[in-house]
Amino acid sequence: MQLKRLARALCVIALAVPGMVKPSPASAEVQIFACEPEWAALASEIGGDVAHVYSATHGRQDPHYIRARPSLIAQVRQADLLFCSGAGLEEGWLPVLLQRGARVTIQRDQPGHLMASEHVRMLNPPSLVDRSQGHVHAEGNPHVQLLPENIAFLATELARRLTVIDPDNAEMYRRQLSIFQERWKDATANWMERKSHLEGMPVVVRHEAWAYLFEWTGIKQVASIERLPGVPPTANHLQLVLELARNAGAVAILRAPYEPSEGMEWLSDKAGIPIVDLPFTVGGQEGVDDLFDLFEVTITLLEEVRDQY
Amino acid sequence: MSILRGLARLLFLATPIILIALPAQSETDQAPTAAELAAEIQALKQDYETRIRNLEAQLDAINAQSAAPQPPVSGIRSQDNTFNPAIGVILNAAVANFSAPASEISGFQLGHESERGQEGIALIETEFNFSANIDDKFFGSTTIGVHTDEGAETFEIEEAYVQTLPSAGLPDGLRVKAGRAFWTLGYMNEHHPHADDFADRPLPYRVFIDKSYNDNGLEFAYVFPTDMFAETGVGLFRGDDFPFGGSDDGIGASSAYARLGGDIGSNQSFRIGAYVLNGSAAMRGGGHAHGAEGDAHGEEDEHGHEDEMHADEDEDEHGHEDDMHADEDEDEHGHEDEMHAGEDEHEGEHHDPFAEGLFTGDSTLYGFDVRYTWAPTGNPREQEITLQGEYFWRAEDGYYAVTEGDETEFTQVDGTSSGWYVQGTYKFSRAWRIGARYSRLDPISAADVTSDDEYEVEHSPSTVSVMGDWTNSEFGRIRLQFNRESVHHEETDNQLYLQYIMSLGAHAAHAY
Repeated sequence: MQLKRLARALCVIALAVPGMVKPSPASAEVQIFACEPEWAALASEIGGDVAHVYSATHGRQDPHYIRARPSLIAQVRQADLLFCSGAGLEEGWLPVLLQRGARVTIQRDQPGHLMASEHVRMLNPPSLVDRSQGHVHAEGNPHVQLLPENIAFLATELARRLTVIDPDNAEMYRRQLSIFQERWKDATANWMERKSHLEGMPVVVRHEAWAYLFEWTGIKQVASIERLPGVPPTANHLQLVLELARNAGAVAILRAPYEPSEGMEWLSDKAGIPIVDLPFTVGGQEGVDDLFDLFEVTITLLEEVRDQY
Repeated sequence: MSILRGLARLLFLATPIILIALPAQSETDQAPTAAELAAEIQALKQDYETRIRNLEAQLDAINAQSAAPQPPVSGIRSQDNTFNPAIGVILNAAVANFSAPASEISGFQLGHESERGQEGIALIETEFNFSANIDDKFFGSTTIGVHTDEGAETFEIEEAYVQTLPSAGLPDGLRVKAGRAFWTLGYMNEHHPHADDFADRPLPYRVFIDKSYNDNGLEFAYVFPTDMFAETGVGLFRGDDFPFGGSDDGIGASSAYARLGGDIGSNQSFRIGAYVLNGSAAMRGGGHAHGAEGDAHGEEDEHGHEDEMHADEDEDEHGHEDDMHADEDEDEHGHEDEMHAGEDEHEGEHHDPFAEGLFTGDSTLYGFDVRYTWAPTGNPREQEITLQGEYFWRAEDGYYAVTEGDETEFTQVDGTSSGWYVQGTYKFSRAWRIGARYSRLDPISAADVTSDDEYEVEHSPSTVSVMGDWTNSEFGRIRLQFNRESVHHEETDNQLYLQYIMSLGAHAAHAY
């Protein structure tokens, strides 16, 4: 009986301790939880001063493999809008966050649940969905951010969602949207002109992370170092990649910030082509602080590759 | 797009008409001249034309970039299997070698799952999981585990629960789970064994909760809306699973916990927690801790049964064992003395109340856990260090009864025992990890035990483990592990495991 009383006392303490943790200051009116830095950047453009944007990952993290950390649950718990790539990219961690954070307004089918892949044209939906094919995404390639029109579509969609979630600031979101779209249109026009010179340039990649960029620019992917998505290369496969790279006259190996150089250096050496680090997302390289930088730096780096070639 | 454009045009045409109509009603107040009106309309017209031109330009720009997005491909199929639950299978098997013939843990009653694994080639566990959202408010999941014990397959419903979905209408942050589940207790309990970093569970898990606490029950959990992760929960359970048992009113145990967690910088994170699980047990069976063989409920014919099992087990021991059991009922004390001189004395604790008795009384388990992870590059898939430790402290007030024939011997206990482990793993490349673990137990002290037989604390059991594993993809892993177990005072058991854990089909995301 004494033990029971003690247990009860402990229950009370257990309940009281987290209660003493101060709630976060509710300065911002809308809390946006972005799974990836590119969506965080877009959310900041549209949300302006009203939105508090939290990015679950930074530019050097692989969004496939993130731990469902306690801090992320705490952020999801407070979020008014969830902005992620979707299409299974975050399947290893986002479901846990949604379930544990148990925030009603950001669940599927709510205005606060925005998945980028549901608002753009998906590339490469696999014909065979089987684990023997590696880490495949049944809906198609989820790395949708490196295509300017996708950003434009999502800016509009995000603004629409924000006006639903926070109607008081609707006018502000529309204004932010039109400012952004104006700037984006101009920037895109410039990139459109420059990207046409990249058409047909053969490159090697590690993972199918660049499909949208290649779709847009016409850059040709001749081989991927990963034998299958998510499966590390074997020596045999590297040999094959080397042959493919040589035959197609590949000019560079493109690398995302989080990708290991395992296999890449060997290939670079053998094929005599450089490894080119591209930012891949906002924060993926020093000085890539917003979406404009992301495209600008990416195209500039690719132009340099082309010029050397 | 053309519809939008059409609408915009229509609006543009309609606007001047409306605008004209509106002031017309208030003509008495103010009568603008025709010229003024015309100028105003002209201005409006220009304004709208500019706006429409801008809109059109934007539309053209978007259209020019590429074809409009198509909705994700989703055929309008409605097949019978469309609403099948997600099915996942975990294949977990090992080949093991042990240097000692048996593995008893001194001073603790053990449940039937807490013995070391099976020797030789064995399926550790095959898990079948079915899960799906039931409707907009509930999620359901069941896991059926198949274990092989002595050539016989036993099925266990490890989990069968429903859980509220965030859209169930509960307040934000609150969730309720009901049924049978691996309840929130310490770090490891809520994780399935296939997610463990080692092939076996550490000593405190084996002695205090028989590897896992998955009673029938109900649990409420609440996450606070704070920047630092803070969660608390309470549970009510039937009280039938170890460390409880024989629940008569059907609600024999309760729990409470609190957790805090957060990030340190961008690549490190931690979580700490405190837990209490309280309940009562009536005739809690412990089994007899003679290895994997099975009757866990301490029936009266246990010893006869045991003899049969041992007859199959080990040729060398056989003769000796028969002797022991022949002596058993006649002259225990003398026999015990003899055995202490002998080599196989671990076989002979016939009146160890913990090894053989049935416990009746109150049992309260307190637990504390810490987990810290550091991924140097932010990518736990490439490189990661995890440190984890748990401390359990159990207070038990009751008695252990050992029944032999018509006689029952009672051993009163009112005291505490404790156990802890610390472990670390280091993933140095995508596929490879190494890890080490130390676990230790401190049995109830002699002063807290009242018995006819003399009880003394002979030993503080401990185990040192090291492991290395290779992960081909997130769905397949092969592990080599070495344990040096010193769980009984006279013997050290060197254990070697070569294990694989493979996952088929749907595999839900793991919690932190």
